[in-house]
Amino acid sequence: MIEYIVIFVAVVSAIIALLQNDLLKAAILTGISGFCVAFLFQILLAPDVALTQAIVEGAIVPVFIALAVLKTRREEA
Amino acid sequence: MNYLIPLMVVIPILAALIVNIFGGKDKTVKAISIVVAIAIPIIAIIAAVGIQYFGGHDPALLANSLPSNLVGTLVASYNTGIVYVFENIERIFIFLMGIVAFLAVLTYFSEKKEVSGPYLYLIFMGIASVTALMLSNDIFNMYVFFEITALTQVGIIIASSTEDNYEIALKYLILGAIGGPMLLLGIGFILGTIGSVNINDIIFAISNNYVNPYAPSLVIGFALILFGWLYSAGLPPFHTIKSAVYSKARPNGSAILQGFSVLCMLAFGIAMYKIFAYIPYFNTAIIVFAILAMALSIAMSAMEVDFRRMIAFLAVGELGFIALGFGIGTQYSIAAALFQAANEIVITALLFIGFGTVYYLTKTSDTRKLGGLIAVDSKMAIMVLLGGFALAGVPPFNGFQSKLMLVQAALDAGYTELAVLAIIVSVVIFFTFVKAFHTVYLQPKPKDLKFAHDKIPKATVFSVAVLLIICLALGIFPNIVTDVFIPFAGGLI
Amino acid sequence: MMDIQLASLFASGAFIIIGLFAAIFIDNLIKKIIGIAFIEEGVNLFLICLGFKAGGVVPIFLPGMTADWFAANAAYPLPQALVLTSIVIGASTLAVMLALAMVLYRKHGTLSVSEMMGDEK
Repeated sequence: MIEYIVIFVAVVSAIIALLQNDLLKAAILTGISGFCVAFLFQILLAPDVALTQAIVEGAIVPVFIALAVLKTRREEA
Repeated sequence: MNYLIPLMVVIPILAALIVNIFGGKDKTVKAISIVVAIAIPIIAIIAAVGIQYFGGHDPALLANSLPSNLVGTLVASYNTGIVYVFENIERIFIFLMGIVAFLAVLTYFSEKKEVSGPYLYLIFMGIASVTALMLSNDIFNMYVFFEITALTQVGIIIASSTEDNYEIALKYLILGAIGGPMLLLGIGFILGTIGSVNINDIIFAISNNYVNPYAPSLVIGFALILFGWLYSAGLPPFHTIKSAVYSKARPNGSAILQGFSVLCMLAFGIAMYKIFAYIPYFNTAIIVFAILAMALSIAMSAMEVDFRRMIAFLAVGELGFIALGFGIGTQYSIAAALFQAANEIVITALLFIGFGTVYYLTKTSDTRKLGGLIAVDSKMAIMVLLGGFALAGVPPFNGFQSKLMLVQAALDAGYTELAVLAIIVSVVIFFTFVKAFHTVYLQPKPKDLKFAHDKIPKATVFSVAVLLIICLALGIFPNIVTDVFIPFAGGLI
Repeated sequence: MMDIQLASLFASGAFIIIGLFAAIFIDNLIKKIIGIAFIEEGVNLFLICLGFKAGGVVPIFLPGMTADWFAANAAYPLPQALVLTSIVIGASTLAVMLALAMVLYRKHGTLSVSEMMGDEK
């Protein structure tokens, strides 16, 4: 059951990330979505990929985006 | 075992890392770059034809140690490692790319006092990745090097410090970041249907009816790979961005970028032809994009006032000829496409570097502000004119031979309209080029034209002369390459 | 209940569509880039789904397994190896794009792509 919830959270947080006006929140939501996909990889029998995904898409990518947002502008419009 | 085959990829990567480390020391960097740039074409010539199984995964040797429930199945014949195949056709293209890279690096050194380590890093990394693209027999490996090529192309534009280069670089990168995953998705569809990413395995599985050749998943995979191919080759709808990319790089950078595009296009074109040529709409789809590329690019080049954009559009239009040869799909037409690709690398490098001298002298590329440059250096002007003739297909240059071959192949296959179109496009290319040449070199010099430099460096003249000699040699003795291309094309069908 | 492989395939499709929509229609550069990250995530998820085997085991050969049993029960490891590479490529492309976005923001003072490309010509 938990896997279906994870899929749901992954997709919904991706959609919310793109509807956010605050880009910093969007970056954090990208990270949540990345972590959920990493969990999904674990369920789909790919533990090594899950580890990489959790580090790269769950931590590094949101940090990169957040850094870019801090160096530019926080609001979308 | 033939160690020279992996070395063709390893040496440029090592060189890239080393020049980046020695960034500040100009003399060391120059020496290393020149030595490596000479070494690449030499290795391509002396390496023996062969197959490299990485990790020792030779399927013939592994056959004895298979689990019992796999013996005799389709999987038993699969390659389990990355395979590089080096044949004479790869030899020709890697050699030409190496020569162009060497001359471009030489030109770069002569025009710039202090050299930039990262720029050379990008050039060598790009050469390594296109070489691997040509050699690799594994579509996923090709995807990886496709992405690296796209990134190095973007890097070369960023490092060129021309006006608005960042915007173009970002646009190209965003399109690439859409095209790349689409290509990977296509590879995923094929992998899901067949279970291998090795081209030979895929062909084996399809031709022996282990899978349904018309399965929707394979057709979707083809469509997605075609999309990635259009991006890498700069065919429509990507022709505008591709030509913008060429015009934003330094002249020597554009020459190399065009070489990268041609090799990317060829590598994926050959792979697609090998795998998907049986799909009914394969030829039609490619011919449509080829015609669009030729017509749109040539029309846009005729309207440009910036001569670098003009040459860039002509270069993209010429790519349409290669696609046309693949689209017609006979042995002779594919050989013509390969020949055209080989010529394309040399001729456009000549034109980019040759016309680049105009920008070097005057720091402007607007044809309305230019004129009378023949008085500065008549030798260079004549060589550029001859290069333009080669581009348009005037005998005795190589462009004539390959276009003649293409037109004959189109007529033999019954595509009279395409033959006529190819001739018309060649004529338009000729007029566009002559117009550009006239405005830049022959018309009276405007009074307010200022010169940033008053002489063209000797190394640049030497580079253009070498490229012109290659054009002439291929034009007079086309057998050097066509003897390789025609049997290869026969093997594809 | 839908099985987990099918559900993941739908999720990957959703990711690709969301990402494509964002990359094409959203004007803000950072969001475009986030959209591209979603496309890559979706494609990776798709590839991993291909290798999944219901009731199978993780494709790591442990002591005590026989080759026959392993070949019959393990998930297909090839897509997983491919995805490892593809994740890293995606992250590096993203980093270059963000760096370019920062440079362009300094130059134009905006993150809107249409304004950025608009005052170019």
